[in-house]
Amino acid sequence: MNPEEVEFIAENKNVSIVPNFNFDRIYLISGDVGPFRAGLPVQVPIWMATNLRQRQKCRIMAPDWMDTEKLEQVKEEESQSRFFTKMPSEHYMVEAHLLLGVAAEDIPHADEIRTILKDIWDMRMSKLRSSVDAFIKTGGSYAKLDHLTTMEINSIRPLLPHALDELYKLQKVVRIFMSFLKNITLQNEQYQRKVF
Amino acid sequence: MESNDDVALSDEEPVTAQKVLQSLQEVWLNEKFCPELLQHQSDLVDCMLDQIQQMEENLRKLKKNDFRVVIHRMELDRIRYIVTDYLRIRLNKIENFVIHVLEQESSRNIEDAYLSPPELKFAREYITLLEEHLRLVALRHMPTNIQDFDKAKVAVTPNLSSHVFLRAKQNITGVVIEGDNENREEEVDLDENSQHIMQYKSVANYLKAGAVQLI
Repeated sequence: MNPEEVEFIAENKNVSIVPNFNFDRIYLISGDVGPFRAGLPVQVPIWMATNLRQRQKCRIMAPDWMDTEKLEQVKEEESQSRFFTKMPSEHYMVEAHLLLGVAAEDIPHADEIRTILKDIWDMRMSKLRSSVDAFIKTGGSYAKLDHLTTMEINSIRPLLPHALDELYKLQKVVRIFMSFLKNITLQNEQYQRKVF
Repeated sequence: MESNDDVALSDEEPVTAQKVLQSLQEVWLNEKFCPELLQHQSDLVDCMLDQIQQMEENLRKLKKNDFRVVIHRMELDRIRYIVTDYLRIRLNKIENFVIHVLEQESSRNIEDAYLSPPELKFAREYITLLEEHLRLVALRHMPTNIQDFDKAKVAVTPNLSSHVFLRAKQNITGVVIEGDNENREEEVDLDENSQHIMQYKSVANYLKAGAVQLI
């Protein structure tokens, strides 16, 4: 899957906007949105919010978690824990990227948020790399991946499953070879017993 | 444009278009990440195509500069992307595994067929063309004793031991993980909403029963 498709999936999530126009409820196939009243917050999918924002028809409200204090806390927890901690949103990186991309001026402390998120992302990616490394070295073929977000999983998709597939193939060859070797030694012993 | 809320899927209780779209999105991702061809979901696809068509007719009645048109068009494009990508992935798998797919399909009843009727037609035509092509280009120039085209020998089969990412949709106990060199098998329990990576064959049945989602 390419990153655009992860973004595509994340765009289905809702975000609050404050419209600057009035309009009745819109009956979308994916569910109803609205009614829109100028100045009153309303929940819409992110793909719609970014479009409305680009057309200057609304202001985007930062999701609860997109707040410097809360994110600092998340970052602190992430750096304290050996494991991955639960992120405030399943698509935290994509959401931030999309919303800050079109509406940085609507979101308070946008630059700080960007920096903290980047720190969290970097920390998690380096954790991910070292745990993948450790995992491959143990020779396992099963791992739990709790609290990894879709974008993070997608970032190791080109490498990890493929590496495991190849290791599995090699293991299978070793297994066949070992049983082959066992048979030969067995036959040899039987042969020697007959001869001597 | 209020009429698009309730649609009935053949023999099930009425479901909303919203639910159908959600299931279609899950089905799409499963098909995308699954190494083998999964059972077709024509019901969902047809239902969504109907919805798209209805919506397009409704849109034609609206004025060009109506505020809703842009929003609806965007949504239609998004849904159309899911539908086409889903069908394209399936066609790709059918082409890759055509011999294997057709052979498996012949052992199934019509009720639990994995290919939709148009897909089956496509697969049959594809294999006929392939055979004809091979015969025309190469086989007929071969000595008579090796002119036979043995399908079983060239069949590509999906790698069921490949590793996949998944999320459990419910608690599952006793998923069997194949052991390492010493051949020890292992059993793991998956908690609802937990995420894992493991071999596809360990969870294939749970996937088909709808207990896990590939991610």
